[in-house]
Amino acid sequence: MIRLDDRRPIGRVVATETLPAGPHQFHFWTATETPLGIGAIVRVDAASGRVVYAVVVDGRAYSDLPTPLHDVVAAEGDPAGATGPTRRAEIRLWTAAVLRHEPEEPVQPVPIAEVHLATEGDVEVALRMDGYARAEPSRAIPVGAYRAGGLRAPVSLDADFLLGPESAHLNISGVSGLATKTSAVLFFLASIFQRFPRTKGSVAAVCFNVKGPDLCFLDRPAELRAEDRELYQLLGVEAKPFEGVRYHAPFKADGVNLNTLRSHPDLVGDVQPLVWGLREVLDFHEVLLNRDDIDAKADAFLDFLADRVVEKDFRDEWGNAHRVRSFTELERLFRAIFDGLEAQGRGDIWRTHHIATIRKVRNRLLNISTRCKGLVTDDGSVSDLPFGSFADRSIHVIDVAGMDQLGQDLVFTRVVSKLREYLERRELGVDHVVVFVDELNKYAPGDGPDTYVRKMLLDISERGRYLGLVLFAAQQFRSQVHRRVVGNAGTAVFGRMDMDELATPGYHVLSPATRIKLATLPKGELMVRHPHFTQPVFVRFPRPAVLTGPEGIAQFPPASDVPFDDAVVRQLAALDRRVAPARIKDLISGRREEDVRRALLATKRVRPEDVTGFFTSSLGPAVQRERVERPAGPKPLKHVEDPYAP
Amino acid sequence: MRARGRFAPGDIRSHVPPPLSAPFATATPVEHERILQLATGPAADPPDGVAFLDGTQRWIVERWIGIQPVVRAHVAAAVLRRVGGALSEADSDFEEFRVVPRHRVPADWLAELGKQEMAVLDAGGDDRAHPLLDLRQAALRVEGRRAALERKLAARYLAARGGEWLVVDGSIDDLTATTSAGAALLGLVKSHDTQYLDGADLEAALTLPEGHRTSVFARESGERGRVFTWYLRLWPWDDHDLLHGLVRVERPPEDDAVATASEVSRWLLAERAPLAAPDERWDRLLYPIRRVETYLGAQAGGWW
Repeated sequence: MIRLDDRRPIGRVVATETLPAGPHQFHFWTATETPLGIGAIVRVDAASGRVVYAVVVDGRAYSDLPTPLHDVVAAEGDPAGATGPTRRAEIRLWTAAVLRHEPEEPVQPVPIAEVHLATEGDVEVALRMDGYARAEPSRAIPVGAYRAGGLRAPVSLDADFLLGPESAHLNISGVSGLATKTSAVLFFLASIFQRFPRTKGSVAAVCFNVKGPDLCFLDRPAELRAEDRELYQLLGVEAKPFEGVRYHAPFKADGVNLNTLRSHPDLVGDVQPLVWGLREVLDFHEVLLNRDDIDAKADAFLDFLADRVVEKDFRDEWGNAHRVRSFTELERLFRAIFDGLEAQGRGDIWRTHHIATIRKVRNRLLNISTRCKGLVTDDGSVSDLPFGSFADRSIHVIDVAGMDQLGQDLVFTRVVSKLREYLERRELGVDHVVVFVDELNKYAPGDGPDTYVRKMLLDISERGRYLGLVLFAAQQFRSQVHRRVVGNAGTAVFGRMDMDELATPGYHVLSPATRIKLATLPKGELMVRHPHFTQPVFVRFPRPAVLTGPEGIAQFPPASDVPFDDAVVRQLAALDRRVAPARIKDLISGRREEDVRRALLATKRVRPEDVTGFFTSSLGPAVQRERVERPAGPKPLKHVEDPYAP
Repeated sequence: MRARGRFAPGDIRSHVPPPLSAPFATATPVEHERILQLATGPAADPPDGVAFLDGTQRWIVERWIGIQPVVRAHVAAAVLRRVGGALSEADSDFEEFRVVPRHRVPADWLAELGKQEMAVLDAGGDDRAHPLLDLRQAALRVEGRRAALERKLAARYLAARGGEWLVVDGSIDDLTATTSAGAALLGLVKSHDTQYLDGADLEAALTLPEGHRTSVFARESGERGRVFTWYLRLWPWDDHDLLHGLVRVERPPEDDAVATASEVSRWLLAERAPLAAPDERWDRLLYPIRRVETYLGAQAGGWW
């Protein structure tokens, strides 16, 4: 084995007529025992002073055995006799793809010269990291360690190309459970939060937790192995949980138990309910309605409702005054229209809208509050993300794992749309927002109907970088995601890949050996493509310094659903341990549930010092039940002698 | 899989075989009164530390001075030693020189050639010029230098590692004079231009079955007088040429040459693997010897 501490060459470039060295690819041989492997970075020093950096993309070994038959003959047909006293001459022939020439011009074939393993400094130059890692301030965002032949060197991305404005977005692919996609993104976020230069602006993240408890414990420290701690040290990233994490989750259908696995009494106080009303939903009705529902007539009526009716004083033709702020009030309007038309016998048209269209829209909209119960309330109360006051280096985790697809689509669309809207006005509170979404192939599939969600993702991927809206997306099968969405991701990351996926055309640019390596990547290793890297690079990243979902569940088991009054007490107690359960129960006893929910939401939103006091005042005075005497009833009719009376 | 056979049954030929310079020579029995076919026993592992010596020669006509050829030559030899199955260079050397018929080349040309940093050797020959004969003379001179280089390396190696085997490609005629008595020297002769036996002895030798050797006999050699030798069939010849897989092993005329003939034959049988293919002489050429040739070829650069 060649020792690495000496600076002896590990190989020599070879070039023949049939296997020439080009400007972008060349071949070299090494001893049979070599620390080299696929993905290793090498350096070629020509006598002329030209230096070429390259990454090993393929390797072959062969002996001087001309045909397999010669081995059979030598062994006289007995496999046990195949080995003779002399080992055949063997070669390790490697193919390397050029990363960089120095000088860059003129571009020339790689010289026939000695090949050395890259040093840490060579790795930095080879990947063109010197341009941004040594800039002032440094724009390097560490993503992992390059490892080959005992060398560990940090690999960093350019912040300008990760969060914009030069390019942006990150896409990560890999098979579930093995590719460590979520872990990778969490480490990247930690790296961004710690290393993104403050002179470049502020940054926050919005993460959609779409399955299980994956992202529910980002503020909880994890036990790290020594190897991970060393990696953190090498990469210059502090191993610590995220600070400033805000959790958002809708209620369950009962309207008071939060629909999240972060429901342990010690943690649930951090979870902000996500509750929307009619206005929040109506703006994104396209997400909720089937494509077949959205004809021109329905669309026109919905626009009419949004523009003229909702949250406005509206008077119908029959003298009724409406101010629609909730689904209940919307239903009241619809009832007034139907009753009015029926009473007056005026036909089927109301303000140019056919009654059938009105009925269809009514059915669809009112059904939403049923399908998204827990997220959409009927009482007009709203609890939303703090758009406009996002804090620098904060993370907002939106737990939609317990919602059905429709609800997830609605949450995703509205949140991202609001982020874009606020970023356009520069009023979000931060300059950049990273939006992390898993299962991208579900939201932006390469085929299928052109949904509102997909259109929005396309828009973000194509224009988001100008706004500071950055998409970090993950999926199992990159080939099944819309080409423009993945194509606009400046940085592409790959974990362990499925062989079938690797057989799709998008991966043919990779060498067979690289594809095989991708199919067998161990956990914690990734292949990274970045605008500055002319070839993909393999890195190892440390596990995030936060609890994984299963670890979090083990340490903080989710609380079981409890009755309404207990759930209210639990949530208030999570805000303030001094809350007296008995007093809260007395307070809410006999009160309408929607009033209690509204007060609870307000308390959780404000997080006052005196939780009980604030909750009490939010609840307002109890309306004393008034005993109403049963009326005596109508006076008996005057008796008439009528043998035919009923 | 055919090796380069001379007279394999069924081969159609058109040319007269080239003349043999010395088709017959004499031999005397050593091991037995008559040449017997002896089973060597199964192939056995050779001892560790066996080395293999071979040399190469290349020459070109560099120019003509009048009608006198100036031959430029490269000769090289190498010893590869095998330890743990791996071959590595133990010794190597090479020479580059010119050969001219000095007595027919004008003095000013000789002076000019002498100014260059390359030895100029005399090809010899008659006073009467004959370009083809002159070239043959030059080639013989080159061959002589190659043999001398091999002798030098053999002597050097055996002096350094006298207890270890040195296997030489070809006859050890030229080597016995420069090596000490008792040297573990072994020559492996692949060509059978000269027949030392005749009659039933010859037939016994040339019809050896696979894995058999002949009795050891002595043949007349150079300065040391005699070389002990025996035939060994490495591969079955039934469907091939009569000489297929037949080698002749040479040892210095020491007593242990007879005692160890079967043992040496057994490990030579083991040397059949790996096969020396794609060399056409794979049936008689040992793989390590081929590796020495390959090594020398790689070292020779443009000469190869």
